[in-house]
Amino acid sequence: MAKPVVKKEYTFLERIYLWEIVKGLKLTFKHFTFNFKESLKKGPHTVPTCWQYPEDRRPIAPVFRGAHMLCLDDEGRELCVGCGMCARACPAKCITVKRGKPAEGEEGKYAGKTMSAEFTIDMLRCIFCGFCEEACPKGAIQLGQEYELAEYTMDACIYDKERLLANFQKAKAEGKLKPPKKPVPVAGGDKKAGAKKVAKKPVATDGKKSKKAASKPQAEEKKASETKREET
Amino acid sequence: MANNNNAPITGDYVTINIGPSHPAMHGTLRVVCKTDGETIVEAIPEIGYLHRGVEKLGENLTYHQFIPITDRLNYCSAIANNVAYEKAVEKLLGIEIPDKAKLIRVIMKELARIADHQVCVGILGVDLGAFTPFFYLIIQREEIYDIFEWYNGARLTNTFGRIGGVNADLPEIFHTKWPKLKDTIRKANDETDKLLTHNRIWMDRTIGVNPFSPEDALEYGFTGPCLRATGVKRDLRKDEPYYFYDKFDFEVPVGKHGDVFDRYYVRLMEMEQSIRIIDQAYAMYKELPPDAPLMAKVPKIIKPPEGEIYSAIESPNGELGFFIKSDGTDKPYRIKIRPPCYMVYQAFPELVKGEMIADTIACLSSLNIIAGELDR
Amino acid sequence: MDNWVIALIKVVFIWTWTLLIATLMTWVERRGSAMMQDRLGPNRAGPFGLFQPLADGIKLFTKEDIIPEKAHKILFSLGPILFALPAFSAYAVIPFGDKLIVNGKEIILQVADVNVGFLYVVALGAMAVYGIVLGGWGSNNKYSILGGLRSTAQLISYEVPFGLSLLAVVLVYGTFSLREISLVQQGTFLGFLPNWGIFKQPLGFILFIVTAYAEANRVPFDLPEAESEIVAGYHTEYGSMRLGLYLFGEYVNMYTLAALMVTLYFGAWHLPYIDMSKFLGPVSYGIASFLVFFLKTAFFLWLFVWVRWTVPRFRYDQVMGLGWKALIPLALVNLFITALCIQLTV
Repeated sequence: MAKPVVKKEYTFLERIYLWEIVKGLKLTFKHFTFNFKESLKKGPHTVPTCWQYPEDRRPIAPVFRGAHMLCLDDEGRELCVGCGMCARACPAKCITVKRGKPAEGEEGKYAGKTMSAEFTIDMLRCIFCGFCEEACPKGAIQLGQEYELAEYTMDACIYDKERLLANFQKAKAEGKLKPPKKPVPVAGGDKKAGAKKVAKKPVATDGKKSKKAASKPQAEEKKASETKREET
Repeated sequence: MANNNNAPITGDYVTINIGPSHPAMHGTLRVVCKTDGETIVEAIPEIGYLHRGVEKLGENLTYHQFIPITDRLNYCSAIANNVAYEKAVEKLLGIEIPDKAKLIRVIMKELARIADHQVCVGILGVDLGAFTPFFYLIIQREEIYDIFEWYNGARLTNTFGRIGGVNADLPEIFHTKWPKLKDTIRKANDETDKLLTHNRIWMDRTIGVNPFSPEDALEYGFTGPCLRATGVKRDLRKDEPYYFYDKFDFEVPVGKHGDVFDRYYVRLMEMEQSIRIIDQAYAMYKELPPDAPLMAKVPKIIKPPEGEIYSAIESPNGELGFFIKSDGTDKPYRIKIRPPCYMVYQAFPELVKGEMIADTIACLSSLNIIAGELDR
Repeated sequence: MDNWVIALIKVVFIWTWTLLIATLMTWVERRGSAMMQDRLGPNRAGPFGLFQPLADGIKLFTKEDIIPEKAHKILFSLGPILFALPAFSAYAVIPFGDKLIVNGKEIILQVADVNVGFLYVVALGAMAVYGIVLGGWGSNNKYSILGGLRSTAQLISYEVPFGLSLLAVVLVYGTFSLREISLVQQGTFLGFLPNWGIFKQPLGFILFIVTAYAEANRVPFDLPEAESEIVAGYHTEYGSMRLGLYLFGEYVNMYTLAALMVTLYFGAWHLPYIDMSKFLGPVSYGIASFLVFFLKTAFFLWLFVWVRWTVPRFRYDQVMGLGWKALIPLALVNLFITALCIQLTV
């Protein structure tokens, strides 16, 4: 197969090289003077596109998917009930959860009736897709804004429960918690039904739980299900 | 992959091994070149250095879990891969996604297209020795990535959308940023154009360098900008419209000779068209109520009926198709990906034969071979 | 005895000075390119990152010196030295100012006023190719040898227009001595222009600057080390201070060429329309002439950087085509016209 022959048609100004090169030089010099003036200004963030990491950090999106954390509720109780939904949703299979019952006298530490006896995330495997966060019926696991995750040993990259809880405390102290999630509107049927459907899961796994944690739609849902049972 | 219409190889040629780690190789490609002085007698591309078994992974993951894996195909425009895969699964399930989700997908996908083309054009410049345009373009890409980050928290591997729609509305930052951003993108493109297009050094390096005829291109299965550069007006967005593409007013830029210059220029032109599409999609988006649905009704565990489907979209590099065979379980029986790069890369030995070593690099960059997509 | 001391001081001064300029140029290159590309560049080491070249130098010195097992040991070691030595020596005949009068003793600001200064510069420029090609050959690497070959072909073909454009200058001034050429550029030309070489040799200057870029292996003629094609060309296998010598040599070459441009075409240390020697004292005149000369050189050094970050790179055959098909005929035409003009006017 023969390659097509391309005829080069240049204008005179293109042919002599220098004209276009001078135009190019003008353009780069414009950038140079602009950035030179900018860089003379005081402050770390001088040239508009340059961040002087690590002193000067770019803002991170509130929905950023960084290092994981295990959340506590307002009363400092662990939200995780150890259901393992996150582990099942994980494409990289990096989460290990073991469900357990809180030891006697420690029920106050946990929001649910059950808790995670073991919860490790292998950060070497994690791909930061955020599916665990989406799968969690309790909003217990979240991906925070921490992104400097380098460690000296591989063992240090496997986050245990203490580490994950500490991540949460740190994020809380820095005010970097995620904004509450808005339910995604689903087509077909009214939106409340969709919202209910999302909220239904925790009720089912949770059984009868302290009323404080249960939100209003959940309570309504419970009532609805009770009435349904009566009808049947 | 040896050429059969080739001069017999005598011992007089020098074999030069370019890659897998070489400053100009995008990712881990490898080309074994037999050269006569600087002229390439034969170039044998070796593939598979970035093979991660993506298709096999798909057989072991649920339909949802495969979305993050598709991010890693063409990592310059992860969103296009996500959309292509989700569209295929939706076709398999037979669900129609809400209008708003379609528009968000269009907007994000076209943003990804701009980002991809910016990288391609910039890298082509770098490979030909013009370093500066790369920075002008890449700065704008960072701005686009900001929108992605505020959308769902990742800049590169976005995991955009879910099967049945999208999982979030357009971020606030998009509404404020876009009107300004499109002007800066245009400005960066303009500056690239000024620095390169009419510069004789650039023209000599690109015009007439590994040209390709439209017949050959079609025979090899070219798609996307590489095909359009040869003069074939083929664009899935026009020819098989999906997601309102038939309602948008945009043009398909085509080249003449299919040489490096045309491939570069088609990409530069396409960015402008993408901006136009985003503007129109955004206008349509604004007409929809703010609480319009984003997700179609999809069961929690996706179990498509038995069957097989092929669905393709126009990704930045060309036709990105997903073939999925379902056996009725929650995991696909087989996923086959049709990456645009693979078909284009087949023609690579043909393209560079008789050219010089420096042109190999120009050819490789202008074809925009992404190893992640090529080797899967 | 005095002459010996003065000569020694001048030699030491010019060596340290060129080294300083070369190291500083790496900083200018990096910061300047950054500013053109909307970046900041190295700004951590010292004020404005000025100590960055120092840090780089320390790094290069303390790195392990690796000689590849299959390399030709002698040629491999000889390459960088052969490249750097002529580069450092070439400046000897180029003036860096007019003269300094201390204690009634006249000191010419030039290491050696050789009456064949021209030939010396061209000859040493041609020497550099040995360093490159031997380094490329000795490395026993295909990329290196490609770089070495490219460089040989390029330097040899560009030597011709380089020499021819210089020859036209010689025709105009009738001397090979660079100091004499500098001295006659005082005053005005045709009554209103400064009496600079560029106005007598406009085409010659363009030819000279293009070939100078090719001689210095700078973009758009940096094919011998085109990093995207042949990795790093002739210095692919080099590390530590051997690489440092190549890099320094390149910048020193640039400095020499820029100084040559100023000497030949931009009136050396003369300011246009102003005769500094008339109202400045002997010492201050010497310093002023040095500064004027240096500022002019600095502009051309900056031009090297500026062009590098603006234009793409040629291809091997295009460089050859440009050299043989465009520059050599043009240089011959230029030489012919110059000769004709001189014949008609004298």
